[in-house]
Amino acid sequence: MAVITLSGVTKSFGSVSIIKGVDLSIGDGEFVIFVGPSGSGKSTLLRLIAGLEETSGGHILIDGTDVTDRGPAERALSMVFQSYALYPTKTVRQNMSFGLEVARLPRAEIDRRVDAAAAILKLEPYMARKPRALSGGQRQRVAIGRAIVREPVAFLFDEPLSNLDAALRVDMRVEIAKLHRRLAATMVYVTHDQVEAMTLADKIVVLDGGVIQQVGSPMELYERPANLFVAQFIGSPKMNVLPASADGRAIIVPGGKVRLAAPPPAMIAHLGARPENIVVTPPGQGDIDGRVDVVERLGSDTFAYVAVPDAGVLTVRIVGNDVGIAIDQPVGLAFDTQRLHLFDTRGQAVPAAAA
Amino acid sequence: MGIVGNTVRSARFRRSRWVLTAILCVYLVYTLIPIFYVVTASTKTNADLFGTFGLWFSDDFHLRENLVDLFTIQDGIFLRWLGNTFFYALTSAIGAAFFALLAGYAFAKYDFAGKRLLFALVLGAVMIPQTALVIPLYLLFSKVGLLNTPLAVILPSLVFPPGVFLMRVYVEEAVSDEIIDAGRVDGAGELHILSGLTFRLLMPGLATVFILAFVAAWNNYFLPLVVMSTSDQFPVTVGLAIWYASATTGSGGNLLFTVVMAGSLVSILPVILAFLIMQRFWQGGLSAGSVKA
Ligand SMILES: Nc1ncnc2c1ncn2[C@@H]1O[C@H](COP(=O)(O)OP(=O)(O)OP(=O)(O)O)[C@@H](O)[C@H]1O
Ligand SMILES: [Mg+2]
Repeated sequence: MAVITLSGVTKSFGSVSIIKGVDLSIGDGEFVIFVGPSGSGKSTLLRLIAGLEETSGGHILIDGTDVTDRGPAERALSMVFQSYALYPTKTVRQNMSFGLEVARLPRAEIDRRVDAAAAILKLEPYMARKPRALSGGQRQRVAIGRAIVREPVAFLFDEPLSNLDAALRVDMRVEIAKLHRRLAATMVYVTHDQVEAMTLADKIVVLDGGVIQQVGSPMELYERPANLFVAQFIGSPKMNVLPASADGRAIIVPGGKVRLAAPPPAMIAHLGARPENIVVTPPGQGDIDGRVDVVERLGSDTFAYVAVPDAGVLTVRIVGNDVGIAIDQPVGLAFDTQRLHLFDTRGQAVPAAAA
Repeated sequence: MGIVGNTVRSARFRRSRWVLTAILCVYLVYTLIPIFYVVTASTKTNADLFGTFGLWFSDDFHLRENLVDLFTIQDGIFLRWLGNTFFYALTSAIGAAFFALLAGYAFAKYDFAGKRLLFALVLGAVMIPQTALVIPLYLLFSKVGLLNTPLAVILPSLVFPPGVFLMRVYVEEAVSDEIIDAGRVDGAGELHILSGLTFRLLMPGLATVFILAFVAAWNNYFLPLVVMSTSDQFPVTVGLAIWYASATTGSGGNLLFTVVMAGSLVSILPVILAFLIMQRFWQGGLSAGSVKA
């Protein structure tokens, strides 16, 4: 379907620079997800790709053609909006066929495509209804249907599921994954939701302050975050980070040291450990000591929040719920030294096994 | 309903409700009495008009005769005036609503250089009474040779700054940016989006602007008085005023105050009718369901 390439794309509103130079290549049929904190420019970047905003600099290419100066209609993309943005005065059928009528397709072809999309999305019973007579989930499906019928070169989604309740969101997430497999279309998707990002994406783009922090597969980002921001943004609960410094074959952290097999790089300033990579031990037998602050039992997992002097509260994930941990209990914490993340003073990741 | 700590049952609420109701009643009476006077006066003979109590009907019900007089005096010129007023008001209102729609939509949904300044000008224009512009308009129309033509009344009425202001506010409320963006992604041009996707959402606002412009043009007096010079171009307002003047001086022969009153009554009816017709456009909530409620 389509390869989308952004090179040096910038966007300013007035004097405020929002997108500060984005280079990104989105492969044919790839499912790419933009994540980042609120205000990081995810929607703006998506709207730039759609042609709904003009770039302030840089180029956008679709299948090798420079579309930077073309309007949204000429880019042949479809977009699904957060609010669905259905046409309120039109029926479901008219909502889906509007774009095709604008493109002056023959009536028979319009009907064929609309009926096919309605079948995929199970919208047949509602085709004659107006949007206000539909539930949130049905409206969402109409919005997706409207995107499908145009047979676009790529789909753009801006937080399409954020207005649905939790159960429906899971259903629609699965639907969108199926749709992606079925259409094999390029999809660019903005979300706040960790689970959506991790489960749907071939490739996640982490944005912060209008700058790409890292691009990679979900597991790459999880296993090898390029910097502190990505390390703490991807993963839930988030990664524990402690101030650290190198000392021979060990890393010194508040309240103790972590012994390694090989000497750590000298420039490290932070040590990161995911909740599942810390083990609770009897006091004095781990790398550092702390006191249990809060225990959360989720059934399959238990999260222990352990207060460590000078290091704050560390989160520890323990599998199962019968863990024999009580609030205020003193405990030791041992780090899985194979899975530590090290960062320098600038927050950039440092390979643990540096020469 | 009620403000917190000021519930429906509280003495304070009841007291303030009574005060408000009383004020509104005074206002209602103040508005209705002149209209009621017009109604009673147009059913009287000229003698009864001055000889009986003004706010009630006299024994001699003379409405039919007054109406016959109204439509026959001076070869039925009143009908001509009524037609003129209707034509001026309708074209002015349609045009004013059209331009208010386009301007308000642009102010609401587009960014362009000078937007704030232009809108400040629109707001400023709301403050300027049309009367103040009549003399410059007269000079202008005399230069371009439009005096005593319908355009001399219609063209100035197309400029309706309150309508632009109202439409801007209405468009901002009724049309979400995402619907417009969805239309753009679907490939529709801006005019197509306006006419095909958002126009029907704007009907209540448009109806409001239409009726306001219609009433303003219907009641317009000073402008046509100045720019129209022959009786066959007059609207009802100017015609009746001239009849009234002749009745006062007694120079009009059979022109009587009762006929002027009957004329006033007849000239109010179409406005009331227009309100009733436009009412069906004020059933808002059309956009419900377009975006997440
Ligand atoms: N039309 C605009 N004019 C001025 N500033 C804008 C405009 N659109 C967006 N911004 C600013 O750009 C920044 C990025 O906005 P954007 O909507 O892209 O964020 P986002 O990452 O999608 O956030 P969220 O997760 O809350 O949706 C914000 O600070 C926002 O205020
Ligand atoms: Mg956003």
